[in-house]
Amino acid sequence: MRFFRSALAALAADIALAASAQAPSPPEAFLRADKGHCIACHQLPQGHGPVSRADLGTKLEGTRMRAIGREGLRQAIADPPRVNADTLMPPFGRHRILESWEIETLVDYLHALP
Amino acid sequence: MRFPESMRAIACLAAFAAGASFAAAEASRAEIAARLAQQLADVPATNFPLGAAAFDEELRARVEAGSAAAAPVLEAGKKVWERKFRNGRSLAACFPNGGRRVAATYPQYDPRLKRVITLEMAVNQCLKTHKEPLLEHGDPQGMGSVTAYVRSLANGQKVAVRVPAAADERFEQGKRLYFTRRGQRNFACASCHLQGAGKRYLDTPLSPAIGQATHFPVIRGGVALTLHGRMRQCLELMGAAPFAAGSEELNDLEFFLTYLSNGLRVLPAPWRPG
Repeated sequence: MRFFRSALAALAADIALAASAQAPSPPEAFLRADKGHCIACHQLPQGHGPVSRADLGTKLEGTRMRAIGREGLRQAIADPPRVNADTLMPPFGRHRILESWEIETLVDYLHALP
Repeated sequence: MRFPESMRAIACLAAFAAGASFAAAEASRAEIAARLAQQLADVPATNFPLGAAAFDEELRARVEAGSAAAAPVLEAGKKVWERKFRNGRSLAACFPNGGRRVAATYPQYDPRLKRVITLEMAVNQCLKTHKEPLLEHGDPQGMGSVTAYVRSLANGQKVAVRVPAAADERFEQGKRLYFTRRGQRNFACASCHLQGAGKRYLDTPLSPAIGQATHFPVIRGGVALTLHGRMRQCLELMGAAPFAAGSEELNDLEFFLTYLSNGLRVLPAPWRPG
């Protein structure tokens, strides 16, 4: 019985770990007003971060993020006007709002979104 | 007889130039109006003076519920407006009809000074003429409350800003400033209030360029926030060094922005959250 209970607990822990791996919390750069502040313009998939009605930017959906790819995401964050002159998105890398490592954190996060 | 003929020719040229300038300003306004009408097809332009509340029923209800907050600000403004100067005159005496129905015609272009004169500048010109201490342009307590009061005297009047030929450069400069991206965030005023009008930044819809100038100063946190004060906040959000309240840049920007609202009704001192 004790073995059964601990196996069940281990399974529950594994499930929780898997869930958190699938949906990591947004990094600081995603939320902070003096950093990316992505949440001001974009919505996250329901249940995977702060709820927002912002729609100045597109919804952030994992399928689309993975279709763009890591390099595409990196460029879209670092210098979006280079990709699209009409975009409203700030050049986070070129204008040094975000450090390279912060952009990488965002790329990882977006790429892992459900 | 040759003199009157040449005078007539000059008058014709002046009228043509004035017409051309009006046409240029009006073409800019019409182009922006058409773009917003297409983008925001569900919202009638007559609702644009409501700003963000035009796109959010819940916010509109809160704005209406908060309208009482304007009363003490307008009362304070009225006191300043009617206060007798040391020479017995008053701010009210400096303006036609004691200031009734004049705010809808500001800003105005002064051909003698070759500058745009905002309502705030006109208030300070009066104070200066009568050797009274000037009000700080961006100060919500003094200048904010007095201009909120004067604009309440134009409640419901249609905005009627004129762009004479000589003011063309100032109008175009205001337009350039509105469309120029600046600051660390690389935004232009038009990025949010034209391209993004009606969409939500955080939880709040972005007000459209047309209609914005109808409702300033707004009552925020119990004080009157002037249009220049708000523009400075926007510039800070854009990561740009804000132009000073009362600067030529913000005057030109106000001139352009207010002309866009021509024909819409003044909506004085609305409450705003935050």
